[in-house]
Amino acid sequence: MRRFGHPFPALLIDRVEMLEREKEIKTVKWITANEIYLSGHFPGEPIMPGVLTLEGLIQGALILLEESLNRGKIRVFLQKVGRLRFKRAVLPGERVDFLVSLVSKENPLWKFKGKAQVGGEVAAEADLTFKVDVREVGFEL
Amino acid sequence: MENREIQQFLPHRYPFLLVDRILTIEPGKKATGVKNLTGNEWFFQGHSYYPPSLLLESLAQVGGVVLATKAREENPQTQFTGLFAGISDFQFHRFPSQGEEIILQVEVSQSLSSVYRFSAQAFVGDEKIAGGQILLSFFLKKPSGRSEGPSAGEPG
Repeated sequence: MRRFGHPFPALLIDRVEMLEREKEIKTVKWITANEIYLSGHFPGEPIMPGVLTLEGLIQGALILLEESLNRGKIRVFLQKVGRLRFKRAVLPGERVDFLVSLVSKENPLWKFKGKAQVGGEVAAEADLTFKVDVREVGFEL
Repeated sequence: MENREIQQFLPHRYPFLLVDRILTIEPGKKATGVKNLTGNEWFFQGHSYYPPSLLLESLAQVGGVVLATKAREENPQTQFTGLFAGISDFQFHRFPSQGEEIILQVEVSQSLSSVYRFSAQAFVGDEKIAGGQILLSFFLKKPSGRSEGPSAGEPG
């Protein structure tokens, strides 16, 4: 997990459960009341911020991208969030499964569909488009 | 509107209050907010730039202020709940980094019962760095309900 250059406190992946190159990835994040952003979102009423659910999907897509390319350093830029819907709040004590699958790949644009689930319920769904540049050196989202 | 006043309208607090100041506001219609980025913010431990998800949150919080000021204008005692409902067609051109001031512009473009669609844009100086549509759902709490202290805000 450490080789993904996305350290504390913004790492929203605890474990990669399944990964198929150029296809899909499933990652897991446990939510606990101790997390830094829950102290302000909201005081006395901790709810996982929806945008961080989105961030979890983005990070899942980034791992999938990096593994699919397997060419050392790449430069990736999140270009577009096509459609995103938050369906359910995520609370401390729950476990979020992030499922991200590759929809299409027309270089340099890679499109993904992501789904965050708690138990069997969908918490969020998103369409993500990344611009991938393999020539440049350096890693950026 | 200064940060202290923003905190009367949004339940967000450190480390998730992602708008510093409101420059102009027309309650219920539109607003311009500011978010400054400085090196000792918590997310810069992991990112060298402002994460796109948090940029969306900043815009949504300005949207929350637009709706909350409108609700308070009609009834100063009112309690409300806002939720981040979604995003449509949001494009990023560049991610802002430390030492930059982001100008957040939001404007209500459509409202369907309790869901409000905003067109939202983020600028650094004159350069547009991101723009698209965000959806917030916003509803008033019934006065008979439990009073839960300050209003709950947008999870998201």
